[in-house]
Amino acid sequence: MLLTSSVSIKMPLFGKSQKSPAEVVKALKEAVNALERGDKKVEKAQEDVSKNLLLIKNMLYGTSDTEPQTDIIVAQLAQELYNSNLLLMLIQNLNRIEFEGKKDVAQVFNNILRRQIGTRSPTVEYICTKPEILFTLMNGYEHQDIALNCGTMLRECARYEALAKIMLHSEDFFNFFRYVEVSTFDIASDAFSTFKELLTRHKMLCADFLELNYDKVFSHYQRLLNSENYVTRRQSLKLLGELLLDRHNFTVMTRYISNPDNLKLMMNMLKEKSRNIQFEAFHVFKVFVANPNKPKPILDILLRNQDKLVEFLTKFHTDRSEDEQFNDEKAYLIKQIRELKALPDH
Amino acid sequence: MPDWYDTDASNYEICSFLGHSMTNIATVYIAKHIPSRTLVTLKKCYVEKLTREEIKLVQDEIILMRQLNHRNILPCLASFVTGNEIVSVLPLMGYGSCNDILMRHFPTGIPEAAIACILKAVIHALSYLHSKAIIHRAIRASHILIAADGHICLSGLRYSCLIVEGGRWQRKVHSFPSTTAANLNWLSPELLEQNLEGYNEKSDVYSLGVTACELANGIVPYFDTPTTLMLAEKVRGNCPHLIDQTTYICGDEGSGDDECLRVMAERKFTDSFHDLVESCLERDVTHRPTSSQLLLHPFLKSCHHSSLPDLIIPAAPFTAFTLPDNKEDLESIMASERMAWLELEPVSWDF
Repeated sequence: MLLTSSVSIKMPLFGKSQKSPAEVVKALKEAVNALERGDKKVEKAQEDVSKNLLLIKNMLYGTSDTEPQTDIIVAQLAQELYNSNLLLMLIQNLNRIEFEGKKDVAQVFNNILRRQIGTRSPTVEYICTKPEILFTLMNGYEHQDIALNCGTMLRECARYEALAKIMLHSEDFFNFFRYVEVSTFDIASDAFSTFKELLTRHKMLCADFLELNYDKVFSHYQRLLNSENYVTRRQSLKLLGELLLDRHNFTVMTRYISNPDNLKLMMNMLKEKSRNIQFEAFHVFKVFVANPNKPKPILDILLRNQDKLVEFLTKFHTDRSEDEQFNDEKAYLIKQIRELKALPDH
Repeated sequence: MPDWYDTDASNYEICSFLGHSMTNIATVYIAKHIPSRTLVTLKKCYVEKLTREEIKLVQDEIILMRQLNHRNILPCLASFVTGNEIVSVLPLMGYGSCNDILMRHFPTGIPEAAIACILKAVIHALSYLHSKAIIHRAIRASHILIAADGHICLSGLRYSCLIVEGGRWQRKVHSFPSTTAANLNWLSPELLEQNLEGYNEKSDVYSLGVTACELANGIVPYFDTPTTLMLAEKVRGNCPHLIDQTTYICGDEGSGDDECLRVMAERKFTDSFHDLVESCLERDVTHRPTSSQLLLHPFLKSCHHSSLPDLIIPAAPFTAFTLPDNKEDLESIMASERMAWLELEPVSWDF
């Protein structure tokens, strides 16, 4: 082996990092301040920010050949970060930090966020007192160069109910309906993951939110279902199915399936060109038919199209013979529609 | 070349069909970016045919590529949705992949000096990925792309995984890549074993060793070996090697062609090349070098990528003047895409 002799080189950064948490945080804060002021020495400031971020990241995570720091050091580090207001500063200046540094901010943030003392999550408590952190992150989707970094942090935040609640109930939440449709595919996808996480992760919270904001949410949602972007349409339709079929959202579901416009939309989506969209629409359409207490306008539409629907469904996705549940559901719908009768006139 | 490409589909004009990738999930074209008059590669994934899991795979790869920045890693210049396709805009890599070059021009392997350039670039890319806690898990000749000027990029990031989990740098990783059947020959014994010991980023270094053999021998080791036997051989510590006069034994793997066998039996690779391959293929992970240690290996000292095009003559890159002319293929692909959109029996509802 020619290599063994040269194995023992050390990266200088890991070699002698005896800086205390307080010192690193102070150095980082000074560098971020310099970056924010936009002095003439911007490059130097960027370099200092990146260097100190890497130090902090390695203290928290360790590297391929070093262990993370002890809990005491990590606790000191977290405390310094809270006291110095550095988390917010880093996020506010994220666009000024260089490419790799941005990712390090996200990793440091996510690690600190996960900190636990017994059952308490001190960082979550801290962010609850500084919701501006969350709003700044959500606003990050407006900017191409930091959108994905902010997304990484937002999804980590969304795991905590207290933080998800702040985000859902902020006016900024409705910007997601725009973010999931931006033309840059990676950002739109990332925003959709965050959007979905916020609407599905904490069941009771989500149900309350949807009930309270029903009109606003579903008028926005309608636009996604009619989006020109195929991926947006397919993903939002699938998510709609999941939301309506979740038993926590029973009230919301009942309201949704009482509106004839929603039924018309789903019937039109059933005959979209895309088979995947047809299939997702089927899973929403079935809820309208299975409803034992159909309001009159819904029943009327189904009755007016009774024969067409039976014929249509009989021929619908007949190649899915393997999918037993789908075939059972389809047979059930056909039977239900066939047996539909008009309400007696009063 | 501009450093920013837009997401407006009408600004790209498809010039020719290049091939399929990602086991036929994607179709690859050469296109002209009209505003900047540059040639790019367009990778189109026809989403209607993909399952939800496959869409996730495509999304994850694009998002990962957008968050990496290294000269030897293939960048995703832009990505957008048009019709029901996800399109990634990638730089045009005029020579295609190292596998293309092997297949077309070098049945017994690429010249050693060229391999040194290629490996050096890949090791730089690996060292970057590893420092970012990413294991590539699919190092192979078909994922190493070469541009017309000799610039080398690593692709194939959809198979990768993260070492950092739950806020910690993991000592070992256990996750087995789900769609990896095509890459088995290149994978390390510790990854293939799938036991409690797990594996780490050095698994990529092993795959690099296998790839070095692939580039030098013209064919990947174990290409005709049943998978279970390949696994058994690797686990026992039998490792692939460069085929030259010092290692050639009658009946050794090779293309079977007499002329090819003669070339292999008579050539001689340098000691430092043999040494690099042996150390990469070290069975014991603790003795296998890391990617950043490999960067110091003497084999990589002499090379510079700008000389690469001369070293791989007669291979020639696609350029604006030598685009493959396959109008007919192109038209038939486009036509079959339109077919998929034909409506058969339109129903109209009475509302």
